[in-house]
Amino acid sequence: MNRVTCTIDGQTVTVPEGTALIEAARALGIEIPHFCYHPHLPVAGNCRMCVVEIQGSPKLEIACNTAAREGMAVRTDTEAVRAARRANMEFLLANHPLDCPICDQSGECLLQEYWDAHARHASRLRDPKVTKGKRIDLGDDLVLDQERCIACTRCVRFSETVTRTGDLVLLGRSDHQRIGPATGARITHAYQGCLAEICPVGALTSRSFRFRKRVWWLEEVDSICPGCATGCNVRVCVQDDTVHRILARRNDAVNRSWACDEGRGLYRELAAPERPLLGRVAGRPAAREEALAAAAARLGSARRPGLVLGGQATCEALLALVRLHERALPAARLFHVPGPDPGRRAWSDGILVHADKDPDTRGVRLLATCAGGVEDGEALARALADEALDLLLVLEDDALGRLGIPAAPGVVALAFHGHRSAAAAEVLVPVAGCWEQDGTYVNAAGRVQRLHRAVRPAGEAVPAYVALHRLGALLGVDLGCSTSEAAAGALAETISGFPREVGPEGVVLPPPLDGGTP
Amino acid sequence: MAPRILTARFGVPGSHTLEVARACGVYADLGRVLRLEAEAIAAQVRASGLRGRGGAGFPTGAKWGFVPPPERRQGRPVHLFANADESEPGTFKDRVLLWHDPHRVIEGTLVAARALCCHRVWIYLRGEFRFLQERIDAALGEARQANLVGPDILGSGFDCEIRTFRGAGAYVCGEESGLLESVEGRRGLPRIKPPYPALVGAFGDPTVVQNVETLANLPWILEHGAQAYRAWGTEASSGTRLFSVSGPVRRPGVYELPLGTPFRELLEGCAGGLRPGRRLLAVLPGGSSTPLLTAEQALGATLDHECLEALGSFLGSGGVIVLDDSVDPVAALANLTRFYAHESCGQCTPCREGCGWMARIAARVAAGEGRQEDLVTLEDLARSLRGRTLCAFGDAAAAPVLSFLETFRPAFLARVRP
Repeated sequence: MNRVTCTIDGQTVTVPEGTALIEAARALGIEIPHFCYHPHLPVAGNCRMCVVEIQGSPKLEIACNTAAREGMAVRTDTEAVRAARRANMEFLLANHPLDCPICDQSGECLLQEYWDAHARHASRLRDPKVTKGKRIDLGDDLVLDQERCIACTRCVRFSETVTRTGDLVLLGRSDHQRIGPATGARITHAYQGCLAEICPVGALTSRSFRFRKRVWWLEEVDSICPGCATGCNVRVCVQDDTVHRILARRNDAVNRSWACDEGRGLYRELAAPERPLLGRVAGRPAAREEALAAAAARLGSARRPGLVLGGQATCEALLALVRLHERALPAARLFHVPGPDPGRRAWSDGILVHADKDPDTRGVRLLATCAGGVEDGEALARALADEALDLLLVLEDDALGRLGIPAAPGVVALAFHGHRSAAAAEVLVPVAGCWEQDGTYVNAAGRVQRLHRAVRPAGEAVPAYVALHRLGALLGVDLGCSTSEAAAGALAETISGFPREVGPEGVVLPPPLDGGTP
Repeated sequence: MAPRILTARFGVPGSHTLEVARACGVYADLGRVLRLEAEAIAAQVRASGLRGRGGAGFPTGAKWGFVPPPERRQGRPVHLFANADESEPGTFKDRVLLWHDPHRVIEGTLVAARALCCHRVWIYLRGEFRFLQERIDAALGEARQANLVGPDILGSGFDCEIRTFRGAGAYVCGEESGLLESVEGRRGLPRIKPPYPALVGAFGDPTVVQNVETLANLPWILEHGAQAYRAWGTEASSGTRLFSVSGPVRRPGVYELPLGTPFRELLEGCAGGLRPGRRLLAVLPGGSSTPLLTAEQALGATLDHECLEALGSFLGSGGVIVLDDSVDPVAALANLTRFYAHESCGQCTPCREGCGWMARIAARVAAGEGRQEDLVTLEDLARSLRGRTLCAFGDAAAAPVLSFLETFRPAFLARVRP
């Protein structure tokens, strides 16, 4: 692959041949303003905001569709460029409705930002503004405001090339042009959240986020979606210990700039009414410490215990359970029951969604190897039917639900969801959801990715590795997993080659560390 | 005496039929030309200095030179489109040419196709030209029957199929990439370039789009030779072309003249001068997208690329719109801006927002509700359009605004409040 060297604003940069100037500039830390360009969508070149001056070229050129060439000299800061940006902003804002006070995009709107940075003009429009449709119900989580639209066509290109549904199109001509549904029908695909996200203005917005929170109050925490084994990178947006929305986080190797709607909505489980926030012992609510003591007592006296490694648990929790097995319950049988939990459908599309709805199945396999192997769901079903186990500790997954078993004696559940196994448990310990803890998942491609705690665990929940560490202590063993740092360190110690530090893009481990089938 | 290259068969009864066309010499040289090497044809065309007659005036031979030769096409076919979208206000010569002499146009496309090693030709007609499509399809039917279109034309070994295709009514489909989008079944939104159609055109294949008048010149050039063509016209504008003359002249219509002819001759000699009692005010020499010439400029001008460009305008489509002193320039501009506002495809920011805005200001000014600051805004908007749009439509829309404001400033100032 040839590389070319050019200068942008006097700075030199070398990039692969064919790289667009807008990306070459980004490599130098120069952000060229733009609306329609998106690194994961085909180039449209219609917003005309990213114009730059190229030595030797009589006209300004758009940086998104001009490839860097050897010796090219580009300037993004000349008077001509500034004048063009000002004029462009004037055109964009001429008919734009003054919706800022009621528009969800406020605070993260490129029209606002670029007006401030590149225009600062007052309107000289003396004619009525062009009006179009507002508050159009476009999809289950999608609201369209045609007046706010700047016709950048990101949504159209997304519908053509990502979902391949072609259900959003341009209608009409001239300044009466509008974005709208192709056949008048609603959008029904699973990526409506992406449409709201890629829209640079408030034309496409998420109904679930509508009027909910001004974005400048939100802090963003990098994390991973727990919805399936793809492990899309996300940003959890919080204020006051409350999650208000999930945004996609770019990772070119995992999810590009996308996240599916189902995954975006899972954080609502944090406040689900059936979520266990207190422990339970023999049918009565109990404080967590009491529940842990009861669990320890049951485990201590069990002669034929079974432990279920859950694909929804973090690697840290799985490690703690494997250490508990090794150090306190060596006679216990280990199981893994693939899912999904009842209530989730094992569906996939060719885009992001993986049929495995557990985010850490690979983590289970990795830790299972350390433990010397696990038995599968069939084996567990038989063991329960044969009454071969006198205690079953279930870590996070709804093992009973997955096996279709209504109840079983001697269940100790460490659960985030209020699922069947939790309901049937003699002892229930509430554990944190993925948004409430630091942790690690290994996705379906063997990529190790880090979760970061966005909100404090609700009620009496704690991360499962903390609960297991406490269980170990009560059983007289030190599992070394009392904090997230300790647990992460324990992973690196136990699994040779497992990284201690993982950057924001994760890291793919070579087999057998990727947890793939042997 | 200038040759009638393009209008030779105008006025001959039945000239659109194969029998009459052939009797008048159409297709007479085709068998020989199709047996030439492709490069030999291209060389003649280059040497002739023929330039596009659609509006941009790009040298035809050079345009063909952008298409990769057969050995460098990775097996992709080349497509040739004869552009009959003719929507530039003031232009009506392509429809007349196709109506009276469809066989000559067909012959011209075959010559071009041979030069490009192209076997698929489309004649793209604007949506409103259903009557023309019928006539051309009939001509194509005759031509196929006579082994002039289709496989092994006249035993030359050259295959070429020609089809007509009708758009759905948009000026912007005359822009070559807008045309290609239309042909591919999409809305006629021009494409960003690069890539250029010569490399990635219709269906991703190398493509040439050529105005029908341009193509109609080819048989004559090949028959009489490049030098014979160069004997007419000027250094940079060889040959003859069709002029569409409209306005308060005695004889509006389509006239063929050598390039370089004084405008006076077109106006007075061909079109009979202005109607009684009218005085020349200004002229749009090449369609509404070309800057105005004042009466004085026009009467001193010759109709060729060099002279018109020196005067700050250009030859464009040859649509000569004559304005006399009964024209209200403020109303005329309102009319023109409304056209561009209606036809803007809406894709890029400056044109989408600017054309509508300019049209509204111009209408308000024409209605007597304007202020001086509106004229400032209007001029500003037009300047901001020029050179900043995705295709040349932006320049086309800006041209009349800037030109009228400059040429008729007193009239505009008189129409607005301070």
